Amino acid sequence: MADYAVEIENVTKRYAEHVAVRDLTLHVPRGSVYGLLGPNGAGKTTTIRMILNIIAPDEGTIRILGVPSSDTHITDRIGYLPEERGLYRKMQVRRILRFLAELKGVKGAVADARITEWLERLELKTDEKDWGLSKIDELSRGMQQKVQFIGTLLHDPDLVILDEPFSGLDPINTQALKDTIMDLKHRGKTVIFSTHIMDNAERICDSVCIIARGEKVLDGSITSIKQSHGTRNIALSLDGPVSNGVSEALADRQLVSRVDDSNRYFEIEMAPGADPQDLLRRIVAAGASVQRFEMVQASLHQIFLEKVGAHSRAPGEGPWTEGVETGISGHG
Amino acid sequence: MAKLWAIIKREYLERVRTRWFIIATVFGPVFFGLLIVVPAYMARKGKASTEFTNAIILDATQTGMGTKVAEAMAVGRLPGTPAPTVRVVPPSELTAAESTATHQVMHKQATGYLIIDEQTIKGEQLRYAGRNATSLNDMERLRNTVKQLILAGRLEDAGVNPDRVKELTLMPLQMNAERINDKGRGGSGTVSIIFAGVIAFLLYMSIVLYGQNVLRGVLEEKTTRVAEVVVSSVPSETLLAGKVLGVGAVGLTQQIIWVIASVVMFKLRAPMLALFGVTTTPFQMPEISIGLALLLLLFFLLGFTFYAALYAAAGASVNTEQEAQQAVQPLLIMLVATAVFINPILINPTGRTAIVMSLLPFSAPIIMPLRLAIGSVPWYELVGSLLALAVSCVAAVWVAARIYRVGLLMYGKRPTLKEMGRWISYSR
Repeated sequence: MADYAVEIENVTKRYAEHVAVRDLTLHVPRGSVYGLLGPNGAGKTTTIRMILNIIAPDEGTIRILGVPSSDTHITDRIGYLPEERGLYRKMQVRRILRFLAELKGVKGAVADARITEWLERLELKTDEKDWGLSKIDELSRGMQQKVQFIGTLLHDPDLVILDEPFSGLDPINTQALKDTIMDLKHRGKTVIFSTHIMDNAERICDSVCIIARGEKVLDGSITSIKQSHGTRNIALSLDGPVSNGVSEALADRQLVSRVDDSNRYFEIEMAPGADPQDLLRRIVAAGASVQRFEMVQASLHQIFLEKVGAHSRAPGEGPWTEGVETGISGHG
Repeated sequence: MAKLWAIIKREYLERVRTRWFIIATVFGPVFFGLLIVVPAYMARKGKASTEFTNAIILDATQTGMGTKVAEAMAVGRLPGTPAPTVRVVPPSELTAAESTATHQVMHKQATGYLIIDEQTIKGEQLRYAGRNATSLNDMERLRNTVKQLILAGRLEDAGVNPDRVKELTLMPLQMNAERINDKGRGGSGTVSIIFAGVIAFLLYMSIVLYGQNVLRGVLEEKTTRVAEVVVSSVPSETLLAGKVLGVGAVGLTQQIIWVIASVVMFKLRAPMLALFGVTTTPFQMPEISIGLALLLLLFFLLGFTFYAALYAAAGASVNTEQEAQQAVQPLLIMLVATAVFINPILINPTGRTAIVMSLLPFSAPIIMPLRLAIGSVPWYELVGSLLALAVSCVAAVWVAARIYRVGLLMYGKRPTLKEMGRWISYSR
């Protein structure tokens, strides 16, 4: 049992008007990086809040690092980065970090040493300037995000939960965050994060769980998920403008069942029984200059669209529902 | 427990460090000091008749009476104010001098003018014209002064030695008027009524100010999403308790500083007033027994907790400052309704209104201390008031904690009362 950092068994959470999470079961292996994926309103935040014991499930059980989530001491071993960053605006950086550490049971003196270490590591404390002595509202947004991140990790948690950690980060901070997540993994920590951005999830996660409308759609390791979807996909890159002939070939439902058109790059899902060679011939015949034509595993993004799009399609709605659109565009 | 302490510490220190707190805490006693000095100063101004020191004395008698009056009226005047001007004029030119003086008063070069003529020396008539002619105090003092001087002049004329005259006429007769009401002599009653009024006002002020403070704190945590971070580490009840206790401690700190400063200032009242040239009348500080002090503290704690919990619930149920203003209206109405009754209850502290309002939880924390400060309250009324308040306090905290817990993580539209009722029934 101790192989799992988080075990959620048949958990349901209802609110007055709707069911936020329905009969959810998922297991997060210890030491893994786990992605919780789903469109807005899928129940990710509710699930995270239940893991954190902020709210309690109506049915089912949750165990964290082998003990029930209601155990009051377990919160000291969890670090949480909320979706919308929360810091007291008028408070000095060092004081707020010390406060957050004390809430996790870290003694003041120990906290102070770690705060200095982290401030230096994230370049908030340099020879010229010690931002630790500034108030939060004197900091730039990026610096505030760093402070929040330090607050999440100051007590050296065994389980780190990041709610939409990449939203609003610039490329430099995104890279720094990825590095830190990898560092945590190498030190044997478990990281759970929720995101809409499939590329990030695909690159970083060991395992993922896709939920939509409060229910689990799919879970497992990235490798197994991708294998189970086979190599029915084609990655296609063209040089120059797309001719009508190419467009017609891609629109042919006998050949192609789905296209993700990114202007010069296409991810194509072949129709059942269709031969990729036929497609290549049609494209070449249309006079296109092909740079790349490769049979690949479906990307997580494609799998997500397929699963969640199909799952959340309601009568009268088009194939791309609102939830999925949000999922594609994401934040940043 | 360590976590609760961390929250209390943060709430307390972050507030005590603010400029607002320091200013309010320092200016409270300064304001109190002004309350002592200004009325005394004004009173003295009235007595010393600065109004009169800037007056003109038209002396048409050639007896030097004008100069004597001027000297007498100038006694005890504030430094920097001019002594009355004396103009000795021949009786024939008096009318002209009068119109000149009238002109001067009209142009605010003088307060007024006094005419000393033959009739005055005879003790028949004294004429004064000026802006302060309606001031009974001034006129009475003027009349007495002149009367005394005429009397002295007559004694001297009758051959009495001038020193002896001074001795005989020097008579600083002070009048002390004391009021008697249904309960007997009311002299010391005034002091305890003032004291009780101050206590009630202080309690009212601190509950309103620090209740709002709790509300703003909760709203800040909610809108900045700090609440989410904190409740992922401690139960929401701990955060609520820490906030109420921390803010309450700030209020208590401020009051203790105010009370100490006030007492010190009261002790230093005499030298302080002497700086302004005012002599103090003896004034007895009300005696506060340890028992009374503890009771007052208890009522403050219960009352503050009652209101602070409700303010916190209001803060958690809204999303913006504007919504918060609406949400606290019921609370403010309860507090203002109580404040409205402070005066009637000061006058009649044992009436039915007083008894009922010291049993109602929303008014008890202000009304009961007020009655305790005025005089003795039957023990059963005291116990009843405390019990009612304590029970309501527990109920308010229980309800508030539940609304707080749900509301803190609910964003979007403001809940209806029905929805808030449902929040209370949520298990977790």
